Amino acid sequence: MGRFTDSLVQRRILILLLVLIIGSGFFLVRLSYLQLWKNEFFQSRALQQRMQSIPVEGLRGAIYDRNGLPLALSVSAFTVYAVPVEVDDADQTARALGEILDLEPELILSRLKKRSAVEWIKKKVGEAEARRVIKAGLPGIGVVPTSTRVYPYGSIAPQVLGFVGIDNQGLEGIELYYDHYLRGQPGQAIFERDAHGRALEDGLRGYLPGGKGNDLILTLDFFIQRMAEEEVVRACRETGSRLGLIVLSVPKTGEILATAIHPSFDVEDFSSYPVENRKNIAVTDTYEPGSTFKAVTAAIALNEGVASLRSGFFDPGYIRVSGWTIKCWNRGGHGSQSFVETMQNSCNPYYAKLGIDLGGERFYRGLTDFNLGSKMGVDFPGEAAGTVRPPSDAIPLVTWANIGFGQGLTVTPLQLLAGFGAIANEGIFSVPHYVQEICTPEGNFAPDIPEQRHVVGTEAAQTTLYVLRSAIEHGSGKRADVPGYLVAGKTGTAQLVEHGRYSHSKTVTSFCGFAPSDDPQLAGLLVLWEPQGAFYGGIIAAPSFARLAAEVLPYLGVEKKEEEKSGLARIAVPDVEGLALGEAQAALDRAGFRVEVVGSGSRIVGQVPAPLAEVDPGTLVFIYTDLDYLETSTELPNPYGV
Amino acid sequence: MSRRNGKPDIIIFTAVIILLSIGLVMVFSASSVMGLIDYGDPYHYVQRQTILAVVGLVFLFILMRIDYHIFQYLALPGLLLSFILLGAVLFAGKDTAGASRWIRIAGFNLQPSEFAKIAMVNYVAVYLSNKRENVRKFFSGLLPILVFLGAQFALILMEPDFGTGIALVFTTLVMLFAGGIHLGQLAFISVLASPLLYYLVTFKEYRLKRIFAFLDPWADPTDTGWNVIQSLLAIGSGGLFGLGLGKSRQKFSYLPEHHTDFIFAILCEELGFLGGFLVIVLFFIIAWRGLRIAMRAPDLYGTMLAIGITSVIAFQALLNIGVVTGSLPVTGIPLPFISHGGSSLLMSLISVGVLLNISKQCSD
Repeated sequence: MGRFTDSLVQRRILILLLVLIIGSGFFLVRLSYLQLWKNEFFQSRALQQRMQSIPVEGLRGAIYDRNGLPLALSVSAFTVYAVPVEVDDADQTARALGEILDLEPELILSRLKKRSAVEWIKKKVGEAEARRVIKAGLPGIGVVPTSTRVYPYGSIAPQVLGFVGIDNQGLEGIELYYDHYLRGQPGQAIFERDAHGRALEDGLRGYLPGGKGNDLILTLDFFIQRMAEEEVVRACRETGSRLGLIVLSVPKTGEILATAIHPSFDVEDFSSYPVENRKNIAVTDTYEPGSTFKAVTAAIALNEGVASLRSGFFDPGYIRVSGWTIKCWNRGGHGSQSFVETMQNSCNPYYAKLGIDLGGERFYRGLTDFNLGSKMGVDFPGEAAGTVRPPSDAIPLVTWANIGFGQGLTVTPLQLLAGFGAIANEGIFSVPHYVQEICTPEGNFAPDIPEQRHVVGTEAAQTTLYVLRSAIEHGSGKRADVPGYLVAGKTGTAQLVEHGRYSHSKTVTSFCGFAPSDDPQLAGLLVLWEPQGAFYGGIIAAPSFARLAAEVLPYLGVEKKEEEKSGLARIAVPDVEGLALGEAQAALDRAGFRVEVVGSGSRIVGQVPAPLAEVDPGTLVFIYTDLDYLETSTELPNPYGV
Repeated sequence: MSRRNGKPDIIIFTAVIILLSIGLVMVFSASSVMGLIDYGDPYHYVQRQTILAVVGLVFLFILMRIDYHIFQYLALPGLLLSFILLGAVLFAGKDTAGASRWIRIAGFNLQPSEFAKIAMVNYVAVYLSNKRENVRKFFSGLLPILVFLGAQFALILMEPDFGTGIALVFTTLVMLFAGGIHLGQLAFISVLASPLLYYLVTFKEYRLKRIFAFLDPWADPTDTGWNVIQSLLAIGSGGLFGLGLGKSRQKFSYLPEHHTDFIFAILCEELGFLGGFLVIVLFFIIAWRGLRIAMRAPDLYGTMLAIGITSVIAFQALLNIGVVTGSLPVTGIPLPFISHGGSSLLMSLISVGVLLNISKQCSD
């Protein structure tokens, strides 16, 4: 070896050795950084990557009525799922599963061929089927517990309860509004898997059961609800109404005892029914209240000092307001009336005058105090606000005149019932609500309902109550009276707004009231849309309420009172409404009354004084045969252009 | 020249045997699940690897006893054969994942690039030892080697097998450096080669992406960054003592090539930092002893041959560990003695046999 080459090569080998030492040293440092310093980081990242979880539902909370009867319960069921990559023979698996679960094999096959990690095959499977699936031992097919909703007492108050979807999520009604409480804490089934999604044989497995959701105790009373549901069906049938609603509540608290709607639907088969049937129209829909609203007008007017029990009014049959003429339903007019009689007669011109006397500013303030035109905060999804337009130069005085007797504004049925509740409860307004208590492991608590508040003074409320009582005793609501109980309330009939105009043939007839009038325990609203035939609220809505109250009041334990005796000389006016003209005349004649026929029809649609009103013998009784004399007869363009 | 007949370097031999044993255990651990799924036999891969290890050891013992000087006469024939084989693989190669790197001879898949490396090493060793000082001249010294190297590199790239190509070039450069090449010339050819290298790296977009993915693998975790991320997850999970033999999680199809190019990651996952540390130290020992043999070889041919063999093993080990630890761009290169793969194992053991024979003839 040459000397030069030799030493040069030796030197360069030493340089290579140095490079080698540096290189090895670098990788040792790098390795210790990865394995010792960042060990936990990489370990958790790797674990995270391997763990796959299947969500498991918690058991949904139950819904009870105020007596503790279960209206909706969740019971254990099972969900069959597939891990597609673990399935051996998709065709055979699909056939076997299809037979057990009663599903189309093609449907199962399409799911088994999906590339997702977990695919649902069938949800809410019964225990027997689940057992057969497990026993079949099909690779890649598993079963996790879930639950399904059952209704031990059948489909009761379905529009209120609402229903749940395939994943037990609340879709409508209370189930939706309180979903957050009802829904259980979700659990997990966890397993360790390889990169293709196959579970590792010796891998980690875990099952974290879901937590049970909270139960709800409703303000609804199962028995009262049943009575109301029967009555609303009966009322709709007898009157041929398209739609009927009965809401019963406790006026002092706002607790809703019943919400019955006809036509209804079966909660266990909800998808087979039209969407309209599933709506809780007491909360979500609005309507023109008509004459029932005179109670609210009266309360506001009394509260503002615009009217008093000593007020009087001469009704010539119409009232002129800035160029418009508002006619009374009684074409001849009611003549000279006391304040109480204006309510008994349901005299439109007087309540129009109260609207005018109050004026836009004061009337509007009073209406908003009654929570009209805005949501009340009912514990129910989709609450409507109703329409009350705030005063402005663009709103003519006649609008306030119209609102005085219940036209030109819309309210939800519950808003009107809450207004009557305030009148029944010394002016204290309670927001209606459906849930009494939410039962949690930490104890029961009441839901978040707006607090009670004074909307009118006690005196104004008590005076209105007295007037409403007399409207039953002597007025159009006579048929709402219940033997042994004193009922206060008001009937109403309004033309339905169709295509932005008042319909000539379609009406909404209603009764709103409460009982007993000296200590109201029950408030009720009955609304019938588009009844066929007789139109007056006093004829069809009031008796329905009376029948219901006669059942419900004893059930509530309200004591009967001896019927108050009126003046000895007075006799009751026979009820001739609905009779043929000749029969009516004959009946009144026999009873000793003078008769005056109004209109040219052949069937009686109204009478004044009201049926069964106690009056002096020989009193002149007007009987009405014509459609011209609906309680509301102003021909105004729809003020809010619906 | 004197022909001594001393004892072979027992330290290198021991280190190789330990690495080989670790390799067989790790190949079994990493491939048993795959063997079971693909062939219904968990021993499928380790069985073949064991047979080849035994065959390789037989060759090692034979070559240890054959005087390495006879390979001087095989320099040009060997190079010629490597060209024939490399050409054959392009026409009759077995296609795997878009690359044809193997030809089938007598029931075994032979990887000609592995043979080409050794042939090149032998040729360069002969060339340098014959030229001596003349190697510092460019046209009569360096240029012929560059021509052969370029031709081989081009053939290997056409397979394509970028990793082996790089190993070939690097090994040759190390030998030229150690052989006393003029550093100015080395710099000059580096400057000349850099546009070519740039072109090779960028003319296929996937290669460029892959090369820079290691800098920030999380930027594209499901595609170009996947291998590096999974490798880091495996290594990082190991900790000091590892998850235990056979307990790797990343081998469940998370880490690709987990029994071949990425087996070091599984080793670090199962055996921990201690396992990884041991393997790096063993490779360092082999390289150190290899260079020691080179310094004490009886002649310049022996020196250059020892440097060549050592640098082939050391460079592959460094490049592999660099890739697996996310320190270097992803390049497919096996870890000598450990990774599953017959040609690589066989050629590694054969070259160690030659190295051991050189060590027997060393002066003390």
